[in-house]
Amino acid sequence: MDKILVVQPAKCTGCRTCELICSFTHTGEFNPEISRISVLTYEKVGFSVPMVCQQCGVAACMEVCPVGAIAKNNVTGAMEVQDSKCIGCKMCTIACPFGAIHYHAVNNIVSKCDLCGGDPACVKLCPSGAISYVEANAGSISKRKAFAAKFKNVFEEVS
Amino acid sequence: MKIRIDQQEIDVNPGETILEAARQNGINIPTLCYHEAFGGQGMCRMCMVEVKTAHSTNLVASCTYPINEVIEVHTSTPVIEKARRTIIALLYRTAPQSEFMKKLYQEYKCVENQLEINENERCILCRLCVRACEEIGSSAISAILRGTEKRISTPFDEASTVCIGCAACANICPTGAIELSQTPAGRTIWNRTFAVVTCQRCGQAFATREQLDYIAQHTGIKGSESKLCDDCRKKNLAAQIEQYAQ
Ligand code: SF4
Ligand code: FES
Repeated sequence: MDKILVVQPAKCTGCRTCELICSFTHTGEFNPEISRISVLTYEKVGFSVPMVCQQCGVAACMEVCPVGAIAKNNVTGAMEVQDSKCIGCKMCTIACPFGAIHYHAVNNIVSKCDLCGGDPACVKLCPSGAISYVEANAGSISKRKAFAAKFKNVFEEVS
Repeated sequence: MKIRIDQQEIDVNPGETILEAARQNGINIPTLCYHEAFGGQGMCRMCMVEVKTAHSTNLVASCTYPINEVIEVHTSTPVIEKARRTIIALLYRTAPQSEFMKKLYQEYKCVENQLEINENERCILCRLCVRACEEIGSSAISAILRGTEKRISTPFDEASTVCIGCAACANICPTGAIELSQTPAGRTIWNRTFAVVTCQRCGQAFATREQLDYIAQHTGIKGSESKLCDDCRKKNLAAQIEQYAQ
């Protein structure tokens, strides 16, 4: 069964190591701007949450892509963008209800989390263990569902 | 089936093109009108290679040549290099305003030719834009007129009724030939100005109405009705998580 990324905002300190390692792993450059994971921090309340693609079962990005440049990796379950096939219509970035795929002018590609091919760098480098990569078993899935249920209105609004 | 490309023996599936077989095996053949999203078009001839069969030796466009028999391929010979230089020199004459062609012209150490120069042109008629638009399903542009007047445009240069303003054409164009302007007033491309949908949170224009319709049609996801740009959709969700966590 696929493994999934699980984020625990309560553990996140907002250090942004994940952003740096993500951009470095994918581009060889330390540039949080082009990271596929982004940490949003609410200074006043001291709360940070890493936001990253959840690899939807029915993925809007993949459905909308006119040229099939986004495909599911059957081993990891990640929706992956094949840059050489992308024609740059940016439709996927508009379609994703969660804002998890972006176009970057710096490298002229659309990018999203690809689970690093099954060994996510953010998970390995996060110093506080706020991101984990776990088997998608009944337990982790129901946790995720419970989490999603709390944001039912959000998801209904957007999905 | 086994064939040889530049002395390297490689395994191919019958019907595969020479270009695909070469690239899969790390052999680079230069191309201009080929794109992985749609395959070869055989327009530019930049991908020309020499093919030896049991009976003959020919120069062929590798992006459209299907491998159906045992062949020997050479991707770089003096004849091929000369042909490529000629192609680039001619295209640079037709599109002297293109930085992309200028670079290639210098890289390939091309020599002057007598072709009439097309002062303000950037387009090399590779048709990648036409193919991209076809994939979107709009087919708003094509090659119009003939001979030296041939160029890419909408029928009769009129504002297209089928264009959705996605600008994939401008993005895929290797030479930057397609004019696109985006102002708060709208996005203008191919003689049409589209009203843009602006993000309710940050005010940035992020799509045309037509793009949102396209997304709704293709995904059935109401989210494309969202009035937020991709960044703000993420921020919005994060803000809700923060609210909940408190
Ligand atoms: S921008 Fe690229 S990956 Fe995204 S929908 Fe368009 S062609 Fe597909
Ligand atoms: S790339 Fe093959 S003809 Fe243009």
